Amino acid sequence: MDMTLATTVASCLVCDTEFEVREDWEKGEITECGSCGQEHEVVEKSAAGIRLDLAPEVEEDWGE
Amino acid sequence: MTTSDQVLLSVTMLRPEEKLLLGALRDEGLTARPLLMEDLAEIVAGRSGPPALALIRNLSHRDAISVSRRLEHAGVPTLNRAATIETCNDKGLQSLLFAQHGIPHPDTRHAFSIDQVRKTVTDMGMPAVVKPVSGSWGRGVSKMTHLDCVEAWAAGRESADVTGKQFPVVVQAYVDKPGHDLRVVVVGRTPVVAIQRVSDDWRTNTHLGAEVRRVEVSAEMEKLCSQVVDALGPGFYGVDLVEDRSTDELLVLEVNANPEFARSSAQHGVNVAGHLAAYVAETLTASAV
Repeated sequence: MDMTLATTVASCLVCDTEFEVREDWEKGEITECGSCGQEHEVVEKSAAGIRLDLAPEVEEDWGE
Repeated sequence: MTTSDQVLLSVTMLRPEEKLLLGALRDEGLTARPLLMEDLAEIVAGRSGPPALALIRNLSHRDAISVSRRLEHAGVPTLNRAATIETCNDKGLQSLLFAQHGIPHPDTRHAFSIDQVRKTVTDMGMPAVVKPVSGSWGRGVSKMTHLDCVEAWAAGRESADVTGKQFPVVVQAYVDKPGHDLRVVVVGRTPVVAIQRVSDDWRTNTHLGAEVRRVEVSAEMEKLCSQVVDALGPGFYGVDLVEDRSTDELLVLEVNANPEFARSSAQHGVNVAGHLAAYVAETLTASAV
């Protein structure tokens, strides 16, 4: 089985819509709810699954 | 000396850039993992094994400096080095460094008050550009073409920053560019790719919609990048260059210590993440000998 294509299901923290997150996502990575567009950050990833939080907003001192 | 193959990727959040880097580092046989701020305590306490190196990719300037300083003091080497990140995150410090090392750079002066901005713009002549020392993505950059612009800028500033905590700013001579600037990505000491950022806007940030066109790295670009690396030390940089149409001179505008590359790599076709990962692997091998 190609793990990069495997997915896990998460619930949007804003609109509750379920959306798929690829299993090769890393801690700290940003993913978006396909329904309302809210960005989420993967804050924990374990055998039990993933835990999401709302993604950080752009701040004043952000930049390349 | 270290025998660890563990590379940490310090991030504010994991963007496509960092995802590419993780993959590239792992392809080099290294153990690479993201480091978020909450993980830093156990690393600096030495509870999770000594990492060989930390790549500092924090979007937040404050975090980038804080994390790199703490890791350095805990004995973990960082790329780029903390002092380098501090300099690169402050356009005023950069201009002083360039002056010290004779690196061609537009006339740039510090201003610590609104009155000093008025006076400096008048002394330098217009157009002039006022920039926050630590802004990115073209934010807060204003072109002063007339005294009314200076007064409009001053009025906005008085409203947003009554106590003047956002000073200093830099006042910089406006460079009349030929519709584009140049970004050269440097890995270690080597310029790996150069692009033109083409825009109708006088600001040529890709974040503001500038188009990316790959160009060859010229001898002049190579020389300027070499001067920059001599001043800052080997590392990972986005060196921004501008051509002055009135003199045909190529100037170093600024150096970014956290260059973005995911979108531009897709267009210019150079595997920037792969170059950086290979450099990290070589550096670690050399330090283990």
